[in-house]
Amino acid sequence: MGFIGKGLFDGMVVTARNFVGSYFDRERLVTVQYPEERVQVPENSRTFPFLVFDEDKDPVGTMRCVACKICEVECPPQCIYIVMDRDEKGKPQQRPKVFDIDISVCMQCQICVEVCPFDAIKMDNDYEKSQYGRFDELVEHLPDLLKSNEYYNRIKPTEASRVDAKLKADKEKKAKKAAPAAPKPAAAPAPKPAPAAAKITIPEDAPFTPEQREWLGKFLVTAPVGVASTAATPAAGQPAAPVAGSAPAGNWPWHDPALGMQQRLDLAKNKPLADLLMAAMAQTDCHACGYDCRGYADAIAAGTETDLSLCLPGEAETENMLKRLMEGSGKV
Amino acid sequence: MIQPLTEEKRYTLTPGSEGLIETQTLEVSIGPQHPSTHGVFRMDCTLDGETVVALKPVMGYLHRNHEQLAERMVWLGSMPYTDRLDYFCSMTNNWAYALAVEKLTGIKVPERADYIRVIMSELTRLQNHTCVIGFMLQDLGAWGTPLLYAFRERERILDVFEAVSGSRMMCNYMRFGGVRVNMTENDLAAAKDIVARYPRFLDEFEKLLTTNEVLLMRTQRIGVLPKELAINASITGPMARASGVEYDVRKVDNYGVYGRFDFRVPVGDAGDVYDRYYVRVLEMRESIKILQQALRDIPQGPHIAPEVKLRNFKIPPGDGYGRIEAPKGELGFYLVSDEGGKQPYRYHVRPPSFINLTTLEDMCLGHKVADVVIILGSIDIVLGEVDR
Repeated sequence: MGFIGKGLFDGMVVTARNFVGSYFDRERLVTVQYPEERVQVPENSRTFPFLVFDEDKDPVGTMRCVACKICEVECPPQCIYIVMDRDEKGKPQQRPKVFDIDISVCMQCQICVEVCPFDAIKMDNDYEKSQYGRFDELVEHLPDLLKSNEYYNRIKPTEASRVDAKLKADKEKKAKKAAPAAPKPAAAPAPKPAPAAAKITIPEDAPFTPEQREWLGKFLVTAPVGVASTAATPAAGQPAAPVAGSAPAGNWPWHDPALGMQQRLDLAKNKPLADLLMAAMAQTDCHACGYDCRGYADAIAAGTETDLSLCLPGEAETENMLKRLMEGSGKV
Repeated sequence: MIQPLTEEKRYTLTPGSEGLIETQTLEVSIGPQHPSTHGVFRMDCTLDGETVVALKPVMGYLHRNHEQLAERMVWLGSMPYTDRLDYFCSMTNNWAYALAVEKLTGIKVPERADYIRVIMSELTRLQNHTCVIGFMLQDLGAWGTPLLYAFRERERILDVFEAVSGSRMMCNYMRFGGVRVNMTENDLAAAKDIVARYPRFLDEFEKLLTTNEVLLMRTQRIGVLPKELAINASITGPMARASGVEYDVRKVDNYGVYGRFDFRVPVGDAGDVYDRYYVRVLEMRESIKILQQALRDIPQGPHIAPEVKLRNFKIPPGDGYGRIEAPKGELGFYLVSDEGGKQPYRYHVRPPSFINLTTLEDMCLGHKVADVVIILGSIDIVLGEVDR
């Protein structure tokens, strides 16, 4: 220790060094003139969730979300609201009609992203979300939330490429799984899509725009009985013929989310209880119940799972059907 | 409010002089909207002149029902809410909760995850202690300078948190059985860079403060907390250690991989505000030692136990208490699981700053009002944790 006031003097030296240094040394001047200058946010940085779609031409059609509602259930502050899309007959469309996120409630915890089995919801890093109001302005609806996979790749290259690789691998696996099943019923369903498509053509003078026409054409090919979706699907009229006996793994004609409940049950008619139960489910394999569709059906049939309300995408329809089936079986 | 005169409340200012002056006590309510209370916290002081004769802390302005909320939520759901307890140290809050669940279920944490947790919580300790010293000096009237230096250094640490976990303060990084994402080599390099640079900053910071005459006069022999009282009131953390209690959960429990590191626990003897300041500085130096060892030894491997399910996570019936040495003291989570096992039946937090706050009156009696502010600052409270 030296003279009285040395501590003060030393402190002043430090302050002076910092003051002068801030003109020369980036270490000592860390502020950024925000609206003009911006700091690059790290790749992992997160703000609010968005929904990923694959192709720019058709955001709604190619979005990955299947409205399984897992995120809605798991969201800690309950800021997500989903309504599944249905056509005029009430058949589920495997995509959300309403997908709202209240970003004034959202706490950016990323749990929706972690639990999503379809890689459909991801975290954005856009931090400029200020609005002039506190209520409707801060609720994001489906059109605001939809962002392309290309955008996702741009903001989070590493994570997005990993997700893309995983989705590609899954797709290939699925294709491989479907391939061995094809030879058996190949003779019957293979030529079917063609006549179906040929039979229903949209008249030239029908009042449709080209996009609507394209969509309708696709819809008319795929929609009736889901002919094009799996090779193993027989026509509705002859359900039991090609897949008699206990269906081998992966060979469940009703395991097609495009089918309606009644069609699925028809396909599973006269099958063991587990198959009927499975047919009552939403067929998304979303794991919302903790199993895939097959596993949940087996667990209910075996009596290890007693909760019939776990199928989130199937909503009340599935729950009621499961109850009816279980009552019919005399197990409940 | 001026109180009506009663016989007991009569004080004499100048005993021995002829005409005794009758004085009255004055009740002053400091807070809840007051910059020196570090949040929405109120102190009902009774003053005789400028001297405190009674002080009643009033809490609960920031109560958000954290414990009850957690009992209505799945186990994972309350993890992001723990960030909001002590919002300066979300990493250590996450760890305490994850540790309690891991104790309940017996999940084994991979080695790398344990190292990452040590790195993250020691970085948290660095930034918390740096900032608390800044705030304390702010309370003393050193407007801005030390606090801004502290925030400048904190920024660098928060940058690492953001790069690793995605968020600067609400990290939500730990998971049952590990951490959410692995630390990349870049992140480790950034952490190493901070650790290499920190001693230089600490030296400068100490030069600014430790021997400063004004600081010495304002903090020495102020707000003394005797060792016996610290033990009896179950004070933990730097506050207890400043009073001479050798108690550090890192040493007592050796949770995680703390048993492997060579570090010492600084202990003060006077138990005044200055000791609380200096114990924190020394603790930061020990944290740097731990960080150097952890960053050197971190093994490769998985960052999370593979058997842990994210959804439908169930815990068999039982209860468990997980505790860690958070920057503010012993942070514990007491969890009870019942038959269903999907949600906690009981979820209780032992918040260090709430319990440390209980001795506020004992420390303040006999001091001036201006000292109350600095004594409160030296406890290091965060109201998110006090009120929950």
